[in-house]
Amino acid sequence: MDNTAAIGKIVAQAGLLVLLGPLVTGFIQKLKARLQCRQGASLWQPYRDLAKLLRKGTVQSDSASPFFRAIPVLVLAATVTTTVMLPVLWAPAGAARLPMGDAILLLALLALARFLCAIGALDAGGAFGGMGASREMTVGLLVEPAMMMAVFSVAVAGGTTDLVHLAARRGMLPALAWQAPDLLALFAMLVLALAETGRIPVDNPDTHLELTMLHEGMLLEHSGPGLACIVLATHTKQIVILTLVAALFFPLGLAEGSEPLEIALAGGALFAKLFALATFLGLVESSYAKLRFFRVPQFLGLGLVCAFLALALRIL
Amino acid sequence: MSVDLATRLIDVLGGLLLFSTLLILAAGQLFRAIYAVAVQSVFLAIAGAVLGAATGNPDLWIIAGITIVVKAILLPWLLIWVVRRIQIPREIEPVIPINATLGLAAGIVVLAFRLSASLGPVRQAITGNALPVGIALILLGVLVMASRRKALVQMVGLFASDNGIFFTGMAVSQGMPLIIEIGVILDVVLGALVMGILVLRVRSSVDTDIADLEDLRG
Repeated sequence: MDNTAAIGKIVAQAGLLVLLGPLVTGFIQKLKARLQCRQGASLWQPYRDLAKLLRKGTVQSDSASPFFRAIPVLVLAATVTTTVMLPVLWAPAGAARLPMGDAILLLALLALARFLCAIGALDAGGAFGGMGASREMTVGLLVEPAMMMAVFSVAVAGGTTDLVHLAARRGMLPALAWQAPDLLALFAMLVLALAETGRIPVDNPDTHLELTMLHEGMLLEHSGPGLACIVLATHTKQIVILTLVAALFFPLGLAEGSEPLEIALAGGALFAKLFALATFLGLVESSYAKLRFFRVPQFLGLGLVCAFLALALRIL
Repeated sequence: MSVDLATRLIDVLGGLLLFSTLLILAAGQLFRAIYAVAVQSVFLAIAGAVLGAATGNPDLWIIAGITIVVKAILLPWLLIWVVRRIQIPREIEPVIPINATLGLAAGIVVLAFRLSASLGPVRQAITGNALPVGIALILLGVLVMASRRKALVQMVGLFASDNGIFFTGMAVSQGMPLIIEIGVILDVVLGALVMGILVLRVRSSVDTDIADLEDLRG
């Protein structure tokens, strides 16, 4: 295949993912509102929020260093870069694909974004920022190794850490080659996805109460276009995590060539998968209370043990 | 049902059984642990039915039915009834922190898989990984019993352990004789009844908890 066409496809599906990110957030918020018998904001509200923030000016703390300005852009860049490593619509099998990076790089870039966010919060010198950063890093400490193990468990079975190859290879096997370790890894990923997307048992995305926030605490010092960058990065990270789960465990309906029918099918499959996972997030968020922060390690411990067992059972 | 499909289904059900046992271990509240053990029993019954369909052994169907009725409905209902009746705090009181228990559980599962590798000839073609999963379930049930203070949670551990014994029995022998299975189930029911009544009586007459019995000195 021509390299230009391949790059075009990769950029197109990455752009699609970034564009869809706010819609997933809007959908989850709408679902939550409906479950609480409210009308709720429109599905497009996250886009409007982003547009509003982009129009505003920036205010910055006096104690912040010049580096503070660059942080939102770096966070957004690190997060958006992960989208090119995922099979969204196309997953060409074999060598007809440019190596864009694998699951390890994807997780490392997400960790880099988390690190930059925390550094920014500490840099501005606000008390809440420091607290939010310390909490976020604590959660990260529990989530990241578990996520690595869950991904490796699937990668060991597939024989590659390249997500596109993995999805393409697995999508062809009968019944997706599901085994017991896959189940455990899926449960681990679902638990970890709640933490990684900042959803309710771990974090509350809707609140600015100082005692309950993790991720929001780090964003307090940002404003205007900078805040828009970080919020967009949060939306993107959420959809990246959901697509990662879909790519690892349900790699169905991915297009191989570029016939319109195939692409329509892949788009439908993508929407179905995102819809199912977003509904899961919304339902969990509506039916659980937020955990006290000191109980979070226990909740994530379940994910950690499941991920560890998924890897252990695969190797043993 | 073909042998290949049955092996695959039993494998997946083994994963689900392990996961539900981890849920029992991770539960911070009494009711969650009880629901988790009910779910585990449902998975066990499905495994029995799958094996029954694969081997054509009608006894396994009967066992699956009894498991659903007794272990997934009757016993959890009894436990919930006792909890409502004695109105104890709903939190589980672990002897060691829950995270430490989860860590131990991971070690136990790995150990079970490692050890059963040396039992190669016992493993049967149709049940694949069921033997190590069964052993892990038994040991994890014992871990629940050892690491929780409340008598009711210890009963949940007993049920989990018993489910493990059933699963191991299925894995090794493709269904023990019906009379033995029924005997084992009766044993568990009787044990649950005795423990339930004991908890109720101890509670109503001296208003103390099982853990306090440890302080008794002869």
